[in-house]
Amino acid sequence: MSTIEELNPGLEGIGHYQFGWADSDAAGATARRGLSEEVVADISGRKDEPEWMLKNRLKALKLFDKKPMPWWGSDLTGIDFQNIKYFVKSTEKQATSWEELPEDIKATYDKLGIPEAEKQRLVAGVAAQYESEVVYHQIREDLEEKGVIFVDTDSGLREHEELFKEYYGSVIPAGDNKFASLNTAVWSGGSFIYVPKGVHVDIPLQAYFRINTENMGQFERTLIIADEDSSVHYVEGCTAPIYKSDSLHSAVVEIIVKKGARVRYTTIQNWSNNVYNLVTKRATCEAGATMEWIDGNIGSKVTMKYPAVFLMGEHARGETLSIAFAGEGQHQDAGSKMVHAAPNTSSTIVSKSVARGGGRTSYRGLVQILEGAHGSKSSVVCDALLVDQISRSDTYPYVDVREDDVQMGHEATVSKVSEDQMFYLMSRGMTEEEAMAMIVRGFVEPIARELPMEYALELNRLIELQMEGAVG
Amino acid sequence: MSLLTPDAKTHVDPAAQASVPEKSRAERKTSFDVADFPLPHGREEDWRFTPVDRLTGLLADEPTADGAVTVEVSDQSVVAEPLAADEGVRGTALVPGDRASALAHANSAKALHLKLDAETEYDEPLRVTVHGNAGKRSNGHVVIEAGVHSKGLVILEHTGSGEHTANVEVVVGDGAHLTVVSLQQWDDDALHLAQHEALVGRDATYRHIAVTLGGKVVRINSNVKYDGPGGDATLLGVYFADAGQHLEHRTFIDHNAARTKSLVTYKGALQGESAHSVWVGDVLIRAEAEGIETYELNRNLVLTDGARADSVPNLEIETGEIAGAGHASSTGRFDDEQLFYLQARGIPEGEARRLVVRGFFADVISKIGVPAVVEPLMEAIDAELAAGAQV
Repeated sequence: MSTIEELNPGLEGIGHYQFGWADSDAAGATARRGLSEEVVADISGRKDEPEWMLKNRLKALKLFDKKPMPWWGSDLTGIDFQNIKYFVKSTEKQATSWEELPEDIKATYDKLGIPEAEKQRLVAGVAAQYESEVVYHQIREDLEEKGVIFVDTDSGLREHEELFKEYYGSVIPAGDNKFASLNTAVWSGGSFIYVPKGVHVDIPLQAYFRINTENMGQFERTLIIADEDSSVHYVEGCTAPIYKSDSLHSAVVEIIVKKGARVRYTTIQNWSNNVYNLVTKRATCEAGATMEWIDGNIGSKVTMKYPAVFLMGEHARGETLSIAFAGEGQHQDAGSKMVHAAPNTSSTIVSKSVARGGGRTSYRGLVQILEGAHGSKSSVVCDALLVDQISRSDTYPYVDVREDDVQMGHEATVSKVSEDQMFYLMSRGMTEEEAMAMIVRGFVEPIARELPMEYALELNRLIELQMEGAVG
Repeated sequence: MSLLTPDAKTHVDPAAQASVPEKSRAERKTSFDVADFPLPHGREEDWRFTPVDRLTGLLADEPTADGAVTVEVSDQSVVAEPLAADEGVRGTALVPGDRASALAHANSAKALHLKLDAETEYDEPLRVTVHGNAGKRSNGHVVIEAGVHSKGLVILEHTGSGEHTANVEVVVGDGAHLTVVSLQQWDDDALHLAQHEALVGRDATYRHIAVTLGGKVVRINSNVKYDGPGGDATLLGVYFADAGQHLEHRTFIDHNAARTKSLVTYKGALQGESAHSVWVGDVLIRAEAEGIETYELNRNLVLTDGARADSVPNLEIETGEIAGAGHASSTGRFDDEQLFYLQARGIPEGEARRLVVRGFFADVISKIGVPAVVEPLMEAIDAELAAGAQV
């Protein structure tokens, strides 16, 4: 175990929710609460945005009013939209080197271990978002030379307006759902990535998101464009401090995967247990392209997240690997959506979930095979592990097949930790808790091995923390 | 020019009042009162696959027309006094879960009551033949009561035409062993909406078999709940949807008692333009239902272009103390390789197709295991295939 600790100095001495500290909050304290056209115009004005974006935001606000709250899934009655701070500016200008960051923000990210990752050059680029805006940004020079753009979304709009305008909102329109409308109205920060034709970004681009202000809403907007035959892997991690009342995270992620390109998007979401995490993520795949979502949901009070792939070109492929942990008071309503709109497309969804301490995990997915998408294949496998009598696991796999020449399969199993396995491990000297954690790690291993090394280690550590007190 | 509206400072969000979603399938509305179920518009969760526009007449609150149905029971010794709404066991197992079922209840002043005596084995199948007449509407409610430790087989045969709402309420006594078979051999223009609901007693065995071949729109909701620990329920289904047919089966197993078992297996084939089948299988395992075991399976075989199969298995589990739970669903096209293999061995195409389809249905048919059902069923499937081949 010592090697893990050495590799991850940030992981030492962490409590039950180890990212739960709060920094002094001068920026957040003064930020205004509530939502109105004026607030939206104010956000846009401070960023000095072009008029089309302001119009777009105001239109989205109107759509937000009209759209109903989801009547399915999780209980969202705890969200008070008028009590949320929609924009909190934390630093005057974006820093380009770590030392330039204000002391308190630097300390926060030091605790998260970002500079370590960056110093070791494990990642190709790093963006760190604190409150509403990206505060630190770095990309390797050689990638920059190849024409790779990796900036925060506000800079993306400023510096690459034509490219931005062409793709912004093309995958997730402003009126897609209530929370996508909200994000479109008040978005701030996020990542803007463009990978030119044929360029392979061989090490992951990385972003960290952190909420520090109470009742803060974080609405980052990420737009990734992978041009023909390129490839990129994007990794994001999320944390927040623990406050008495709830925060809202409602991101929109749009990904365009062009012919033959490949994008992998990895999320390890570890929000504190009072964050409503309501995220819309969607990718479109042209012919021969591949989109992979790797989605880890560990934190948050409520997560409703269904990363989607629209397979628009022949032989496009979508894949989702998803794990969810729900502890006490948590509801992880996660899954995936695959829409087959072209012939010979294929999709795979593998979902694993663990519920303990009265938590609830739900797999909610949709596989849709539209007319004309003949020869398409889809496979959905859901496994759930329950470790006690009070937790809950649900499976709601919607399937909508409108074409006959297809293969469609769905399987789900729910099991409890077997006494035989526990006995075997404990007879080899493990405590009950260690044995339980080991079984759970084994259960999620097929997904953990797809993660970059430092994330896999973090995931294992988080599982151990989640399983603490799970036995007895 | 300002883009903002005059009252830009205030913002009232009328839709922000979120509702609390249903926590489980158990929270879905059930009621004896028709007024609790407004006419569906087709976007409701439980009607979203059903062509409600073809059902407006049937979903109107109207009594049974004269001469709409003739009902015959093969063995009069099991026919007991008909039951009024609150009489006897009527209403103990079945509470309507949709408008069709509420209509069937409200418009059936007296329910046909079949009573299998306790401690008695019935060797011969008990046949109930329901024959409908074209253009006429009926509402029906049948109560089947199997006494403690009785054993029997009830076959409900539906033939003819017309428009029908129907409830089949089954009370399986402790330790009893009851099989209920519902055959839908309607003419191609019949409409049939039914709710079959069973209350399975302690250590009792209940088998429900739905065979749906005929009808324009057929929708059968088969539900099971338990009256004590140790009950065992098996729900089997076979359907064959032709051009223009909508065949829908919904099952809901409510594991509300410990050490109960359920097994659901539905298999269907589809052929012809806009043939549509729907299977929705819900299972709820309540916190008190420790040590239960459940598995649901649905497979669909699409034989020709233009057909559509929807398959939705939902599983809700509120306790980890279970013996096992799972489900599987798949939809696939007729496998040309199998056909090629058989043809390469000199079997003509028509015969080869027949063999492949028979093979597809083989396991569910062996589970049915009732000769009185299986033989006519295989013949009917062959006839369907032969009819399909001529088109």
